[in-house]
Amino acid sequence: MFHKSELQSGVNLYTRQTAQFKTVSVAIKFTAPLTEENAAARTVLANVLEDSSANYPTRTKLRQALEELYGAVYYTDTSKRGNEHIFTIYAESVNEEYLRNPEVPVFEQLLTLVTESLFKPNLKDGVFDEAVVEREKQTVIDRIGSIYNDKTRYANKRMLELIRSGKPASLSASGTEKAVSAITKESLKATYDKMLNEDTIDIYILGDVDTDQLTGRAQTVFPFTKGTRKSVPVTASTTSEEVPTAKHIREKQDMKQGKLNMAFSTPVGFRHPDYPKMQMLNGVLGGFAHSKLFINVREKESLAYYCSSSYSSHYGLLYIMSGIDAEQEEKTAALIDQQIEALRNGDISDLEIRQTLALLSNSIRSSFDSAKGQIEIYDQYKLLDENFSSDKLIEKWERVTKEDIQEMAKLLTKEITYLLSGREAMVHE
Amino acid sequence: MNKIHFDQLQETLYHQKLENGLNVYVLPKEGFSKTYVTFTTKYGSVDRTFVPRGGKELVTVPDGIAHFLEHKMFEKEDGDVFQQFSENAAAANAFTSFTRTSYLFSSTSELYENTKTLLDFVQQPYFTEKTVEKEKGIIAQEITMYDDQADWRQYFGTIENLFENHPVRIDIAGTVETIQDITAEHLYECYETFYHPSNMVFFAVGNVNPEEMLKFVEQDQQTKSFEAPEPVVRSFPDEPDHAAEKRSELYMDVSKPKLMVGTKCRNTDMSGKDMLMRELASDVTLDILFGRSSEFFTQAYNEGLIDESFSYEFNLEKGFGFAAIGSDTEKPEELEKLIKSVLDDANNNWSITDEQLERIRKKRIGLFMRALNSPEYIANQFTHYNFNEMNLFDVVPVLEGLTTDQLKAAFDDLYYEDGQTIMTIYPSEQSK
Repeated sequence: MFHKSELQSGVNLYTRQTAQFKTVSVAIKFTAPLTEENAAARTVLANVLEDSSANYPTRTKLRQALEELYGAVYYTDTSKRGNEHIFTIYAESVNEEYLRNPEVPVFEQLLTLVTESLFKPNLKDGVFDEAVVEREKQTVIDRIGSIYNDKTRYANKRMLELIRSGKPASLSASGTEKAVSAITKESLKATYDKMLNEDTIDIYILGDVDTDQLTGRAQTVFPFTKGTRKSVPVTASTTSEEVPTAKHIREKQDMKQGKLNMAFSTPVGFRHPDYPKMQMLNGVLGGFAHSKLFINVREKESLAYYCSSSYSSHYGLLYIMSGIDAEQEEKTAALIDQQIEALRNGDISDLEIRQTLALLSNSIRSSFDSAKGQIEIYDQYKLLDENFSSDKLIEKWERVTKEDIQEMAKLLTKEITYLLSGREAMVHE
Repeated sequence: MNKIHFDQLQETLYHQKLENGLNVYVLPKEGFSKTYVTFTTKYGSVDRTFVPRGGKELVTVPDGIAHFLEHKMFEKEDGDVFQQFSENAAAANAFTSFTRTSYLFSSTSELYENTKTLLDFVQQPYFTEKTVEKEKGIIAQEITMYDDQADWRQYFGTIENLFENHPVRIDIAGTVETIQDITAEHLYECYETFYHPSNMVFFAVGNVNPEEMLKFVEQDQQTKSFEAPEPVVRSFPDEPDHAAEKRSELYMDVSKPKLMVGTKCRNTDMSGKDMLMRELASDVTLDILFGRSSEFFTQAYNEGLIDESFSYEFNLEKGFGFAAIGSDTEKPEELEKLIKSVLDDANNNWSITDEQLERIRKKRIGLFMRALNSPEYIANQFTHYNFNEMNLFDVVPVLEGLTTDQLKAAFDDLYYEDGQTIMTIYPSEQSK
């Protein structure tokens, strides 16, 4: 789907010419090892680069320039994948074809703005502006803290910390408050230099543009210095810990609903040949509205509004999340356990397999209907197959049998049952 | 069949009004794999007092019923409709807002099987006391989930403060108490009144052949019998201009205080192009005053009064309209002061320039074009506009024609004496 050109060892350009969208998109992804310090520094850097550049030295000037480009989008983001930390610049503008008398070539100008922000950042005396750095440190600290306000996400984060403390699976892509606080304008400049010179880099350009012409001048548009760029070694992040018995932890906060979550480990991760079987298992168990958890916990017993599972393939974990009345904890937990047992016993109907295959196929095909979807899905699956297509993946799911799912279920080890619930009789004035 | 081509956007919209009154729209999108199909009734949480079909007197039904009905549409005598959608590779869903209930699916294959499922399940109600009772536990958990979400509580708390009588002030899902009163009989009464095809819109967008789809829906509707179309009589209480409450606060388990300023629209009795113009003029004005390139944003962000959670929005429907501006903040009093000073300043020394308008006009045109990449946006926004006699595809021409005088008129309607409220949420330990 994307056309790949290697700009230098460790720097690749992926282009796709398509008239499907009214926009042209560019994404630049920098990959480095995931550590608490790296995550913190690169997230602050992401915010600082997005703030201003040498050419647009204030936030207001940069934002006004984007507005002039018909509300072009430009943002940075950080994420994690296994033991990789990924720094992404994403930009998108309307294709000129749809604008009445645009005075300027919009995408070209956006590309210039983006590459300037990257290669000519807003430096003072060779380092970043202290006021900007300090403010963005605070913004990232606030972001890390804000997960506390979303009890569904918070419960999952807590559960991961309890079973994978200090490991990539529980690290935040934004780092920790402590690691963010330690950043200085000098250390951030070092983070920036290291990222540009040592990270592996994937650039995506997608839309109705002359991709050959762009590829031809890519070395000039993206003048990355030649350096040694080593991709992050894949570790066996999916090996589960020694767990004699599953943990059972209850915590309390000032809230109304109970969040009952579970985590199971599996030796089957993203790069494992049985990966498609685990995707099917997750779909039968709790990925959809026909899944066992939805039918049995919600529809039959009215215990929850949501009860679902998700497969975190880069960490070899399967989570179950539900929102219940905390008094129904035991009943719900037992019912969830029964669904896992049903999988282990091969109590899986042809219909369930058919429905799951149908919805997984629909989901992968649909994800190609957005520019960002195309970039993100390809960026993930290219790790397995550079010539990835949704049809190839669907073929793999089609081959998964009831026995395969049963076998996968037997490999699941429960590591924790976690309940986050309200304190009794909280009274406020 | 009407075929409307929008040259600049390079889109073609197909429309047909069927004999039973149903409006069917199809917008094909080249290159897309999926088709997104919605079937929507002009019936939401605010429609609580109305004359039931065949009746003469106004009735008032329990709060949360439109949403409850939406849940119950999915359950049939022979099981759950989700099962059928899954078998035909469609992801199905539904949502209820203040003014609409929408049922939808998205699929990359079996388009007509899924369309048939959608039309059938929405047009064949099946409610029993037993299935209604069963749903109460599920919806109670849904309500409880939202009760723990500070952003949600703040948004609806702000609306509740602004409106004294209008039912927009009532939670869309009702409360755990009000839903206990809902019966199968209520559901049938609401269904019969609001789910007549003449009160509904069908919209398909994406990978779809328009002629085929229009024909399919028409034939399907011809096989079903409906009573003659009848206008729905709704009743709304009088709503004063002033905000019902000047301020309110709440204590929740959050990491940082949250402040929201709400301001109420005086004049909402409009529709069609006037309404679209008013809506876009209000959006543009808020962008100029509070957007990321505004003086306000720079100052508030640099002084640590706002963070990434800062947002603002404007909502307008016939009968109610409001703007909400809010952020997580360690300094709620200072932020409140600054937001008010921006509004007061615009009120006393209106100074929005043509240059500012030009820039935001461009931004909004681009935003709209980008949104046209999304089948979900097109279907949902089109339907929302359609129910207010607006046309989604007028957005660009109306934006192109906006003047600073129109911005001023929109602002004057939104900001006036006693039309504001403040809603603050504090971390719960501060209550002790």
